Amino acid sequence: MQLGKFVKFRKEQFGGVLFETRSEKVFTLNETGAAIIGELVAGAEPATIADRLRARFQDPDNTLENDVAALIAELQSKGLLAESPPA
Amino acid sequence: MSAATDAAAPESAALGAPLYIAWQITNECNLACLHCIEESGPGKAFPDELSDEQVFGVLRQIVEMDIPYLSFSGGEPMLHPRFFDMVAYVCDHGVQLKVETNGNYLDPDACDRLKLLGVKAVQVSLDGASAATFNRMRVRGDFDRTVAGIRNLRDAGVPIEINYCPSSFSVREAERTVDLAAELGAESFYSGRTMYTGNAVKTWQKLTPDEDQYTVLFDLLRRKSRDYAGRMRVHFHEMGLLEELRYRVQHPAALLIVLPNGLVKLINALPFVCGDLRTQSLAEIWHNFRRAWRDPRVTQYVDDLAHDAKTTAQLHRWISV
Repeated sequence: MQLGKFVKFRKEQFGGVLFETRSEKVFTLNETGAAIIGELVAGAEPATIADRLRARFQDPDNTLENDVAALIAELQSKGLLAESPPA
Repeated sequence: MSAATDAAAPESAALGAPLYIAWQITNECNLACLHCIEESGPGKAFPDELSDEQVFGVLRQIVEMDIPYLSFSGGEPMLHPRFFDMVAYVCDHGVQLKVETNGNYLDPDACDRLKLLGVKAVQVSLDGASAATFNRMRVRGDFDRTVAGIRNLRDAGVPIEINYCPSSFSVREAERTVDLAAELGAESFYSGRTMYTGNAVKTWQKLTPDEDQYTVLFDLLRRKSRDYAGRMRVHFHEMGLLEELRYRVQHPAALLIVLPNGLVKLINALPFVCGDLRTQSLAEIWHNFRRAWRDPRVTQYVDDLAHDAKTTAQLHRWISV
């Protein structure tokens, strides 16, 4: 999974932003969302992201895995994430 | 806990850096268009345009601040002697770049270079669907050469955007212009209202569409937006300048306008300058930008526009805030 061709990600104090430069639309991410995208951009497999983030975020209700899946699905539906090309 | 996204843009005050820089890299132009807001033309380069060292210093700061999106315009940006070096630097460092050109210099070799360098898109101004109309608006322009340039972009595989500035004598060709843009392979088509500033101040009477023409134009663009859905995005700003500025005073876009001499404007449609890249860093200017939008002179200027819409004739008398 990777960012769409025309999508740029930047971390911010409040979390992060995704900028889709074809439509010039900006999407705001909260801290958790930005951490998930940061992991994806760094090359992490989606299935491993929740475990990687548990060291940084409290997850008392055990929702992080669902949050990761939901965010990825949402961003895919908006065309902001795309499948990585085969290695 | 949730990992939310919000489709609303963040307030610029919350951002550590701009999201977009629109850089007019030179005021020199081979054309002298009737509506040019920059009053560009042959021999119209500013005497104090940034040196090569200053230009690449600014580009370095753009990369260091992780600014995702940049456009080069002018004047005619392809006339800048270091144009391709600047494009290469930007694209090599992962910044997405749009080039806004009049299309005159888009020969096959230039288009191949732009493709190879990886520009996000090239936006070409196409203010009509016939030589008679286009050449009247774009003084010294050549419709056939511009269309050939757009075809060269298409053949090279460079994403194309078309900008259409309406005039009283071109609106009757608006539909054909949209269709021509699609036929030429454009991904996006942009239009809006002609601004009363720059050269348009002198040509306003014969240039500007009346409200009835604008109504017909925007109805047409709404229809075209539906017709071309999924093939070409048709964007247009129906909002009048005053309405837009009132919104921007409350919600400044995270966008800096850089002039050829390094002065940085709050927004094109206001005369206010919030920094000078010859003497200040981009980070300092960004800090000042966020403060400057709250300067009472900015609000006052926008309020005054409600009483005298022709205040925009003075946009080139820059005011530091």
